[in-house]
Amino acid sequence: MRVAVIRFPGSNCDLDMMAALRTIKGIEPVLVWHEDGGLGGSDYGAVILPGGFSFADRLRAGAIAANSPAMARVKRLAERGVPVLGVCNGFQILVESGLLPGALLRNSTLRFVCEWTHVRVENTRTPFTSGLREGQVLSMPIAHGEGRFFLQHAELARLEKEGLVAFRYCDASGRPTAGSNPTGTLHNIAGVCNAEGNVVGLMPHPERAAEALLSILGRPDGSLVLSSLMVRSEGRWGA
Amino acid sequence: MKAEQLGLGLTAQEIATVRKSLGREPNETEWSIIDAEWSEHSSYKSSRGLLKLFPTTGKRVVLGPGYDAGVVDVGDGYVVTLHIESHNHPSAVDPYGGASTGIGGVLRDILSVASRPIALVDILRFGLIDKSGHSRWLLKNVVRGIADYGNCVGVATVAGEIEFDDSFERNCLVDVACVGLGKKGDLILGEAKAPGDVLVLIGGSTGRDGIKGATFASKNLKEDAGSERSSVQVPDPFMKKLLLDSLLEIVANRGDIRGMKDLGGGGLSTALSEVASKGGTGVDVELKRVRLREDDMSPTEIMTSESQERMLLVLPSGPGSGKDVIPVLEKYGVPYSVIGKVTSSPRLVLRWDGKVVADLLASLVTDAPLIDWPYKKPATPRISPRPAVPADEPPLRDALLALLSSPNIASKRWVYQQYDHEVGLRTVVKPGQADAAVMRLPNGRFIAIKGDGNSRHSSLDPYEGAAGCVAEACRNVVAVGAEPIALVDHLQSGDPSDPEVYWAFRENLRGMADYCKAFGLPVVGGKVSFYNEDSATGRAIKPSPIALVVGLASKESGLRTMAFKRAGDAIVVVGETRPEMAGSELSARFPKSITVPSQSPHVDAQEDLKTCRAILQLIEKGLVDAVHDCSGGGLGVALAEMAISGSLGAKVDLALAPSSCSRSLETAFSESHGRFVVSGRDGAAIASSLRGAGVPHAVVGKVGGSSLSLSAGGPLVASVPVSSMRKKWEGAIPELMD
Amino acid sequence: MVISNKPGVREPEGETILHDLVAKSGFQQVESIRAGKYLRVKVVAPDPASAKRLVEKMCNELRIFNPAAHSCEVSIGRVPVQ
Repeated sequence: MRVAVIRFPGSNCDLDMMAALRTIKGIEPVLVWHEDGGLGGSDYGAVILPGGFSFADRLRAGAIAANSPAMARVKRLAERGVPVLGVCNGFQILVESGLLPGALLRNSTLRFVCEWTHVRVENTRTPFTSGLREGQVLSMPIAHGEGRFFLQHAELARLEKEGLVAFRYCDASGRPTAGSNPTGTLHNIAGVCNAEGNVVGLMPHPERAAEALLSILGRPDGSLVLSSLMVRSEGRWGA
Repeated sequence: MKAEQLGLGLTAQEIATVRKSLGREPNETEWSIIDAEWSEHSSYKSSRGLLKLFPTTGKRVVLGPGYDAGVVDVGDGYVVTLHIESHNHPSAVDPYGGASTGIGGVLRDILSVASRPIALVDILRFGLIDKSGHSRWLLKNVVRGIADYGNCVGVATVAGEIEFDDSFERNCLVDVACVGLGKKGDLILGEAKAPGDVLVLIGGSTGRDGIKGATFASKNLKEDAGSERSSVQVPDPFMKKLLLDSLLEIVANRGDIRGMKDLGGGGLSTALSEVASKGGTGVDVELKRVRLREDDMSPTEIMTSESQERMLLVLPSGPGSGKDVIPVLEKYGVPYSVIGKVTSSPRLVLRWDGKVVADLLASLVTDAPLIDWPYKKPATPRISPRPAVPADEPPLRDALLALLSSPNIASKRWVYQQYDHEVGLRTVVKPGQADAAVMRLPNGRFIAIKGDGNSRHSSLDPYEGAAGCVAEACRNVVAVGAEPIALVDHLQSGDPSDPEVYWAFRENLRGMADYCKAFGLPVVGGKVSFYNEDSATGRAIKPSPIALVVGLASKESGLRTMAFKRAGDAIVVVGETRPEMAGSELSARFPKSITVPSQSPHVDAQEDLKTCRAILQLIEKGLVDAVHDCSGGGLGVALAEMAISGSLGAKVDLALAPSSCSRSLETAFSESHGRFVVSGRDGAAIASSLRGAGVPHAVVGKVGGSSLSLSAGGPLVASVPVSSMRKKWEGAIPELMD
Repeated sequence: MVISNKPGVREPEGETILHDLVAKSGFQQVESIRAGKYLRVKVVAPDPASAKRLVEKMCNELRIFNPAAHSCEVSIGRVPVQ
């Protein structure tokens, strides 16, 4: 499966994502410059928006990249049901493009935080969680200054009801405690998906946890997220 | 305009020398160019002669000092590049801008030899944050500046060191180092070798920010330091990232770049004169071709501006010139302009609309005459006499907890959590896990990185103290299982015209040089920073030499962290503890507890070489699972840190440790060099290996339980729960800063 | 234009400035502080009203503010820059 990894000016986790994808059997990652017109018409099995500081987070993280011609093409691919994953800055770009709901605000500590977290898988009906079990606890690192997910009260309730939360911060045993919430994000939300289930965004970096050597607990949990793309699943996403 | 009216930093002697060499009076632009390049910051005139004492060659050294970065061979065609920068004066005035442009500067040097920056190290000094709100403000903003820049550019900040001392209250020190990765065949030097080659200025535009920054760094901070704010450069990490991506793409595709130099201190003056000098050529540049941020800048301003994010490329001339370079710059949106060409006549010729406005011999500009400052050893003893009987000896438990919560020793997690230390997928041993950071290399090997300094020791005994910084950095690298292969140094002092300051500087340098020679460690680069003094109070910083060491480990199984690994493991102390309490953290916290004139730690490079080899051998043989070196807070703190890290207690008898101290408090907290604590399943086998290596050692206890229990040849003297130690150690800095 | 968090969105930056700086320094009369982003936009337009409409259109179309969390106030400034 050819997977496009989009590089915007300022993306800095694109090469990391490429390296992590190369460890997954069956995936052929392709680095795509954001102005590359070939993105729209091509036969990519999935599109990944990696982490970094696209356009230096100017105006707001992801705001400028959201208006790049690349995102218009990504939107069309998403409408066709192509799986799209946004990691960290990529999640911010998806939110700013309207492909995912909500907003990602500044961490409540007002500081950038780089640390390993546990997240619980909440929804296995997406192309990036189909290889996982509901309730499974994964160890992955975060590194961001604007990761506090926000949605107005009623919409947040609806998001939860429709099962659109994909990952939730938790402790090692899977409990979403206040202590395991690194940024003040509402309901410990670490990642969400769209109603159709094919677009997923998350703040933790699966590509940084794809090898035991680099993973603080020695568990390459991140590769389980990426390799879900190769897991054949029944029926459509989301439903 | 006469030199004397221009407010230059040059001395009367230097002005006379220039006039004599040139045979005429230089014009304003020419004076400013010389002023920038002859500043201490750019020319090293007060130290260059002495720097020759450093050993700079070795089987792995590809490029030694004198270039934008040191280059070290790590096998299989790969090289690691090293550079260290300081931004002390700017950071004291504008900590955020000063620190972030410091990161920008060191990244640029690594990039300019065509290597990819892969790791940043920050080595900082501030006043006492438990007493000074000003120092807390500086720390907070320096860290934020480093974080915002490094994180944005996507280079992992993986290691660091912070020291707090009153002498840094008005003169904080911000040192940043960078390690890069490249291929030997891809290296590009900062020289213009072929007349006819084209000079292209790329990156940010040139503005009035940071004009005369190099001269600012070369004098004492004024009382009204707030007015110096315009001397600070404005960071732009986004432009840096575009430069990085575009240049590395060009290099990867074997684009033809003949020379590359970053624009740092002294701006265009330095860059142009140095590429010409190094290449044995000259340059002819039209200043109107320089892209300006402000319309009405003069040639002088253009030449001395230190606007950030600019690089100078030397490209071949002729048809097709730049065809593999320019399209990539345009793809990433990196602005560029062709500003001139390389000439065979070795002169720096600058034009304004075709008319020559400066014409100087390139070597006149770059070869500032050396200054041989007088030096004098201080007459008064630095160590004040102590009472014969300790007036106030704290119980071991209290001393340990006080040291763990002392900012110099406490966990720096508050700092490094703000740095992205994972980007790049190379950080195998992460901050907090061990004595040094470990990054993996593409050829299956690993490099360890650590920087160290100790200004207290370096001021009490400048020779031993400075050597001690090298010794400590080497120990830290060895503790993770790597063999030290190269060093960059940074020497920081006050005003060199003060004979006692200059004496201490000379001793710092000699101490480091002698240790490196004896240890077999080449110095591949470094920096000297003078004038770290406050004009108002006349207060100079304590001399602060810094050693940044990289080590090489050949396989994953040869890496170690500091945490105690399992209950039942034997704990072995390696190396002898001596009553060397002067300058120790214990004596700072409990001044009345130190008896008799006690010296600061002495260094023995030959012994250290033996000990380090013995430790690496233990690791190689698989006999030890946890390794930690002893430094600040000595044995006691080392044991505590291993326990906290592993969440496992230990039972230790201090009387068993090899020690010439008469009191257990000294055995516990002396900061003697050359010591490690290791643990592993088989104490006897560890001891046997160390015996074979001829190194002092002893099995002192066992890992187990949930407390650190210490005795001193008899009953239990102190028992501290690991959880209490953790609370003090992890909580100290957040409590002060949040 | 001023972009700020909608009421109801937690505002740690404004809160910190209020509690840790302003209130502690004796300015008890200050009840609340909200932080935001300020953009000064120079526009060529026939009259102030159409300039304002243009900027409002720009804000909405380009999502200069995120409607899920932000509110955006556009006003005309008459004071010349510097």
